[in-house]
Amino acid sequence: MKPQRKSEFLASAPSFLWLAMFVLVPVLIIFGIAFRPALAGGGIGSGWSLEAIRALADPSYPILLVRTLWVSFITTFACILVALPVAYAMARLTPIWRSRALLLVIVPFWTNFVIRVFAWQQILHAEGYLAQMLRAIGLLGENDRLLGTQAAVVMVSIYTYLPFAILPLFAAAEKFDFGLLDAARDLGSKPLGAFVQVFIPGVRQGIITAVLVVFIPMLGSYVIPDMVGGADSQMIGNKIAQRNFNDRNLPEAAALSGALALLVLAPMFLKRKGAEA
Amino acid sequence: MSDEMGSFLRFENITRKFGSFTAVNEVSLEIGQGETFSLLGPSGCGKTTLLRMAAGFDRPDSGRIFLDGKDITLLPPELRPVNTVFQNYALFPHLSIRDNIAFGPKMAKHDRASIQRDVDAMLELVDLKSHANQKPSQLSGGQKQRVAIARALVNKPKVLLLDEPLAALDLKLRQRLLVELDAIHDEVGITFIYVTHDQGEAMSISDRIAVMNKGVIEQIGPPAEIYETPRSSFVAAFIGDTNFLDGRITEVIDRQFSRCEVCGFGTITIENDKPVAVGDLIHLSLRPEKLNVLREMPNPAISQNIVRGEVEDVIYYGSHTRYWIRCGEWKLCAEMQHRNFQLNESRPKWGDEVWLSWQASDGYLLDQYRAEDEELLTLPDEDA
Amino acid sequence: MKPSRWPLACLISVLVFFYLPIGFLVMNSFNASRFASKWNGFSLRWYERLFERHDLLAALMNSLKIATYASAISMILGTAAAFAMNRYRSRFQQAHRLLVTVPLVLPDILMGMSLLLLFVSLGVKLNLITITVAHVTFCLSYVALVVQARLQDFDFHVVEAARDLGATKFQAFCKITLPLLAPGILAGGLLAFTLSIDDYVITYFVKGPGSDTLPTLVYSMIKKSKDLPVINALSSLVLVATFATVAVSQRLTRSGTVRD
Repeated sequence: MKPQRKSEFLASAPSFLWLAMFVLVPVLIIFGIAFRPALAGGGIGSGWSLEAIRALADPSYPILLVRTLWVSFITTFACILVALPVAYAMARLTPIWRSRALLLVIVPFWTNFVIRVFAWQQILHAEGYLAQMLRAIGLLGENDRLLGTQAAVVMVSIYTYLPFAILPLFAAAEKFDFGLLDAARDLGSKPLGAFVQVFIPGVRQGIITAVLVVFIPMLGSYVIPDMVGGADSQMIGNKIAQRNFNDRNLPEAAALSGALALLVLAPMFLKRKGAEA
Repeated sequence: MSDEMGSFLRFENITRKFGSFTAVNEVSLEIGQGETFSLLGPSGCGKTTLLRMAAGFDRPDSGRIFLDGKDITLLPPELRPVNTVFQNYALFPHLSIRDNIAFGPKMAKHDRASIQRDVDAMLELVDLKSHANQKPSQLSGGQKQRVAIARALVNKPKVLLLDEPLAALDLKLRQRLLVELDAIHDEVGITFIYVTHDQGEAMSISDRIAVMNKGVIEQIGPPAEIYETPRSSFVAAFIGDTNFLDGRITEVIDRQFSRCEVCGFGTITIENDKPVAVGDLIHLSLRPEKLNVLREMPNPAISQNIVRGEVEDVIYYGSHTRYWIRCGEWKLCAEMQHRNFQLNESRPKWGDEVWLSWQASDGYLLDQYRAEDEELLTLPDEDA
Repeated sequence: MKPSRWPLACLISVLVFFYLPIGFLVMNSFNASRFASKWNGFSLRWYERLFERHDLLAALMNSLKIATYASAISMILGTAAAFAMNRYRSRFQQAHRLLVTVPLVLPDILMGMSLLLLFVSLGVKLNLITITVAHVTFCLSYVALVVQARLQDFDFHVVEAARDLGATKFQAFCKITLPLLAPGILAGGLLAFTLSIDDYVITYFVKGPGSDTLPTLVYSMIKKSKDLPVINALSSLVLVATFATVAVSQRLTRSGTVRD
C-alpha cells in the first residue's frame, strides 16, 4: 500500500467500520427480519415467512400512513413559515445581537426532550391555565380537550423542530445580500413583495435543508404522539413501538420499520440522483 | 555578481505534475551563496511549487535538488537547513510572539539560555521587543510579517525562502518592509529566495531574477538585463509595459542597423540585437518611456525614427503622463516625465496631431514571440 | 430604507414561545400544590422528595456513565473521521461521508429498532453497554460534523510552518494541530455528551430490563402519572446543569475563534 493510502485507511477505518457495523448492517437486518416468522414468546423464528409482510395489508395502516405524512407535512410547512421571518430578523441584527439571538434559539433545545414534552403536557392539561383561559373567552367548548388531539401533536412538534428549521435558514440568510431587497424596492416592489420575490429565492438552499431536517425526523415521530396525542393521532412510530413492546412481534415491527425506512431514504436517494444529473 | 558565487542551491531538471497539469517542467536553476534571488511570474507559473520543493513540502516527480553539495531532494522539511516565510505568515495563533520565535530552537533542543538569547536577538532585529508576550492576533499585518521573518531566521538557515511575503500588505507598508528586508539580508548575509508576482518587488530586492511562465523559466538575469534585453515577448510584457511591433527586414544597412517595414506603419530603423537578414520576420519591443511625444517635427537624424500620429487617450499620473497614440494601424503607448515639458508649454491633448520619435537603439528585438503576450500590455481602464 | 418591524416581532414571539414552557415547568417545581393548575404557595417539598428517590439517582448515574463513555469514544472516532473526510478525496471517502451522514438524518425510531434487531440477531444481552454502543453511533456523526467545520477554516500552513521549523509530523500534530483544534473537538464532545444524556427513543429500544437512564425512567414515571411534581423539580435541576454546560461550551467556542 502506498503511504498515502495507508494513512487514509488508518484515519477512516475506525469510524467506517463502526458505522458499517452499527448503521449499515442493522438497516439491512431490518429488511431481513421482516421475512422471518414470529415466535409467540417474542423471539424470531428460523426459516422464512411472508406473514409480517402480509400484515402490512392491515386496513388501519393506510390511514396511519396518510396521517403520518399529513402531520409531518403540516409541521414542516408551519416551521418554514415561522422560521423564514425569524431567520430574516436574526440576519439583520448587529453581529453581537445576532450571536446572542442564535444562542437564545439554541439553548432551550439543549434541555431534555422528554422534559420539554412533559412541560407541554402540563400546559395543555384539561384543568390547566391555558384550557381555563380558552374556555373563559369561549374558544374552547366545555367538553373539548387540548391534550390528546392531533392539534396538540402538531403544536408540540412545531415547538420541537422549529429550531432545526431556523438554523439552516439563518445560515442562508446570513449570506444573503440585503442590498438586493433595497434594489427590489427601488424597482417598485412592496416590502412583502420584495421578501417573497427576492429573499425567499435567495435562501432557497436553506429552505431545502430545513425541509429535510424537519420532515424526515417527523416521519419517525413517536414520543410526541405518545405523550400529548390521543388514539386518533398515533403515527407509524407508535405502531412500531406497539408491535415491538406490547405485541412482542419483532418481524412485524421490522416490516413496518422497513416500510418507514424506504419512505425516509427514498427522498434522500432521489436528491442525490438529482444532484448528480 | 552571480558568476563568481557558483552554485549553492541547485535545481536539476525538476518536473512536478498535478494530474494532467504540469506545474514545473524540466527546470534547472543555480543560485549562489548570499544571493537574493527572485522567482517572478503570474499565478500558476510554477514559482510556488518550486519553492515548496526547496522547503520539502513537496517532492519533484523527477529531477534532483542539491544544497551546498548535498542531495536534499527527499529530505523531509524538518531536516533541511532551510526556513520559510509564509504568504499569510502562518504564525501559531495559540503561542505568544516569543514562543512562536522560540519554536524552531526548541525543536532543535537548544538549551534554555541560548534559546532566550537567540530569541531576544531576533526580537531586537525586527524591532518587536515590546510585543514579545502578545499573541499574533494582537499584531498588525506588518508586525506579523516581521515575526514570521524572525521565526525563520532564528534557526540560522542556509537559505531563507520567502513566499509572496508582502502580498497581504498595503502598498506603503510593502515599500517600507522591502527596504527592511534588504537591510536584514545585508545583516545576515544568507541566501534569500523570494517568490513574487510583483515585478516591482522583484526588481528592487533581487540580485537576479528568474522569470517563469507555464512551468518553465523564460529568462534568468540581473533586473536591468531582464528589463533592457528581454528574451521573449512574455518577459518584455511582464516586466514593465511595452509596445510590440511586427515587421520584415527590407535592408541591412551595416553591422549595427537595419531597415524594417512594419505593415500599416511605415519603414523604421532598428538596431541589430541579433543577426538579421533581408526578409526576416522580426518582433520589436519598444518601451513607452523611450518614446518622445513632440508637437513639432524634429530634425531627422540617421538612427532616429520619426512617426506622425494622433493622440487617442491621455492618462495623467502626477509624475508622468501616458499617451495612447494612433499611428496608422498601430496604437502605441508613450510615457512622458513632466519635467520634459515647460510649464508654459501646453501638453498634447486628445485629438492633437503629434510626432513620435525614438532612437533605433531604443527598441529591442525579441528571440521569442507569442501574440498572446500582447494581452499583458496594460490598456487604459474603460472608466478612467 | 427602514426594514419592517414584522420579522423582529416574529423573532421575539418565537423566543417567548420557546421559553414559556420551560419557565412554567420551573415555576411549578416550587408549587406546593400537586396540580399544575393551582398555585398553593411556594414550597421546596418536591425537591425534598426528589432526594428520597434513589432509583432516580441510580438512573442519573447510569446516564452520566453512558454519556461519558459515549462522548469519549465518539470524540476519538469522530475526530479521525473528520480528518479523513477533510484530507482525502477518494471514492472511499464518498462512501465514508455517506455513512457519517446517515445517522444524522435517520429517524431515532429506525435507529433504535435497527440496533435492537442487530443485538437480538447477535444474541447480545441488552444492558448499559448496548446503550453506550448505540449512543456512540449517533454521537460520532455529530462530533465529525463539528470538527469538520473547524477543519474547513483551519490554516494547514501552520502545520507546514512547524515542519519547516524542525518539528516531525508527530510533533507538529501534538504541538500545533491538536491544541488548535482542541476547542472544536471538546465542543463536539460536549454536544455528544448532551445528546447522549438527552436521548430517550434509541435508549428505550436497546436498554435491557433494569438498566434505566434518566430519560427512560422519567418517561415511565410520566406514563404512570406517578410523582409528577418531582419530575418538575428534577427538570429544573437538569435545566440548571444544562445552562452551566452551555456556558462552558460557549467559552470554549469563543476561545477557539480567536484567530488572526
